[in-house]
Amino acid sequence: MISFRPTEEEQAFKEMAKNFAVETIRPVARECEENRQVNEEIVKQIEELGFGTLELPESWGGLELPLITQVQILQSLSYGDLGVVQGLPGAGDAASLIRLIPDHPALQGYKEAGQSSGAWPDVAFIDATNPDDPWLADLQVKQDGNGYIVDGTSQPVRLAKNAQYVAIAATDSEGEPVVLWLDKTGWTVLEGDFRLGLLAAGLGRIQFSEVNAGANQIIARGSEAEALITNVLNRIYVLQAAKEVGIMEAALDYTVEYTSNRKAFGQEIAKFQGVSFTVADMAFETRAANHLVYLAATTVESQSKDAAGNALRAIYRAHRAARFVTDNAVQMLGGHGFVQEFPVEKWMRDAQAQVALYGRERDFLIRRGEQIMNPAKKEVAR
Amino acid sequence: MISFELSPQQKQIKELVHWFAKNEIRPIAMEADKNEKVPDEWLDKVNKMGIHLNASSFTGGGKKKEESNRSKKKERESNRMAVIATEEMAWGCPAIALSLPGAGLGGPPVQSSGTPEQKERFLSIFKKDKPRWGAYALTEPEAGSDASGIRTTATKVDGGYILNGQKIFITNGGRASWTVVFATIDRNLGRAGHRAFVVEKGTPGFTCTRVAKKMGLRANETAELLFEDCFVPDENLLGGEELYSSKDNKPSGFKVAMATFDSTRPIVAAMAIGIARAAYEYTLDIVKKEYPKHGRLYHEATELLAEMEQDIIAARLLTWEAAWKADVGEANAKEAAICKAVAGKSALDICSKGIELLGPVGLDGHLVEKLYRDVKVFDIFEGTNQVQHLVTARRLYAKHDLYV
Repeated sequence: MISFRPTEEEQAFKEMAKNFAVETIRPVARECEENRQVNEEIVKQIEELGFGTLELPESWGGLELPLITQVQILQSLSYGDLGVVQGLPGAGDAASLIRLIPDHPALQGYKEAGQSSGAWPDVAFIDATNPDDPWLADLQVKQDGNGYIVDGTSQPVRLAKNAQYVAIAATDSEGEPVVLWLDKTGWTVLEGDFRLGLLAAGLGRIQFSEVNAGANQIIARGSEAEALITNVLNRIYVLQAAKEVGIMEAALDYTVEYTSNRKAFGQEIAKFQGVSFTVADMAFETRAANHLVYLAATTVESQSKDAAGNALRAIYRAHRAARFVTDNAVQMLGGHGFVQEFPVEKWMRDAQAQVALYGRERDFLIRRGEQIMNPAKKEVAR
Repeated sequence: MISFELSPQQKQIKELVHWFAKNEIRPIAMEADKNEKVPDEWLDKVNKMGIHLNASSFTGGGKKKEESNRSKKKERESNRMAVIATEEMAWGCPAIALSLPGAGLGGPPVQSSGTPEQKERFLSIFKKDKPRWGAYALTEPEAGSDASGIRTTATKVDGGYILNGQKIFITNGGRASWTVVFATIDRNLGRAGHRAFVVEKGTPGFTCTRVAKKMGLRANETAELLFEDCFVPDENLLGGEELYSSKDNKPSGFKVAMATFDSTRPIVAAMAIGIARAAYEYTLDIVKKEYPKHGRLYHEATELLAEMEQDIIAARLLTWEAAWKADVGEANAKEAAICKAVAGKSALDICSKGIELLGPVGLDGHLVEKLYRDVKVFDIFEGTNQVQHLVTARRLYAKHDLYV
């Protein structure tokens, strides 16, 4: 039955996350950005609340929540600050890989490291599956006997700076999909020169010099890898899109509050329809993205046949809407939107960086269009 | 629990209405547009089949009691059911869907504000012997979006009221057995002076003066109504005098008019979505057959089709949310405005993309050009896109005690 009502448990999670976001995350967002990492107190509290392991399986000590619950929590946390949420240490996007194959032998070293230290080491997740990517040649995954040789430099990814492990989803030199899991030998992190946004998220490139990935580091290859990558990326798209909805809601609420107080020409600027109509448009886009993310969350979880399509739609729309809403938040605040005394300029920067990091909008659209035109063809690993 | 699964009953209704739309409505859509008329014998036939357009979630007469007994046991889902069914109906052809017999947009105000006697009297006339319609008359030449500015007067006389004025853009206004007409007892009172009357066809002084020629929805009748010293008895004052007697708690006629929108806007949004989906599916079929399988045009098509599909789904989810809120008894004015604004605007865009994909060929006897003409008004009637922006903004700013 169609319903938009969260369960009581979800409602409780959401409230807890939102309170934490507003009272604890947002006040330190600038500080984290300046320090280029999330401060320890936040990390500690997130762990205590259990929000660091939403996607990890129960057998690993995680919460193993369904996507529809996770999206609501992540959305609430990102309402505080997306930059902080993206900088939270741990398995990051690789959590979705772990979720789907928790018992894979290649992952057990990471599991032991996390469980023995009580803190999950950072994992950088590299998606090098797009065979048309102009920078594909920068990172080569070459078949070598039963294993692979990884050579070159990845594109910038989140949680690179302190990464102890790297998960790579790639199309190898023979055009075959492969998923690898590497511990920290033979690669270094290039920190780069990042200024736009998500500056606390440990952005960096991973440089590999002829790293050998033996059979015990191969998670999957061939058709098995294809299916796995599709399912992992679908989950990542949904979770990332949910975070984007959170930043939109923050930008919308902040704009409503600001424009209801700010006066110009003798009245609150919200009374000018140039302002109030823009705010309504922001609300339209936020709600549309929210619903597409929720729909994708339910179908990706059940791996239904329209899961891939829904995931592509959710991430595309969230990207587009996040840019639109955060840009208009800055616009509605005028000069105040541009300066750092107000949070909206950061939200706009973070949103744009997030969009750049998680896939090209138009590419998502065209991929979905190809599914529509040719539903029989399996769309895997691009 | 958040879910987007249709209940078995919703699925069944969707399939049933879709079957009807595909086999009974769509085949006559182009012809009805050309003739600017839905054939009488067709209307008679579908009326005998018991197919009505329920613009509201309510069904009239005796059925009501049965429903309210049932609803105690299970969750009410009539608003969701209505938007699901309406999307399918409009997919067939919106002009024909709007011409289906039934209370139409007149249903919701009678149902929500009518006395029990009025509900019985006006909502039970929709029987199988012959097709009948209800209508809703708010708009005037000088009062469109600003419905508070209506000038049709209602002067109290012994035993009733005398109406004088003109109404325009009234769906099924000429053929309706009765029309809910909004008038003012005193323009100085503003909204508090508004009253809603049910005026029956044939009442002396009440005439249909013209049927409008339109860009689209040509098969559907859009009438101009004239009231010249038209006497309407007290028992036709919607809700009776007591509805308007208390200043604070009871709704004014204006509120009756506005409350109607919270249930009709999602319906109108659902129709826009049905039209957009028709254009999308029609275009997709042709593109799949006629377009190259690679190259520039192919990529343009994939992009446009993905945008069309996504906008349809986004608008549908927003509409479902507004309907769901109504079903669970929560205020849904903001959601109703949002879904109407988003669906109305994107539906036109989707039809336009359909025409773009068909190119010049699309101009010559193709359904998409008709749908494009039909859909434009869905961004206008039941509150223009700008009014929906205003309603949404007012709700957003209400929590800061600011009226915008």
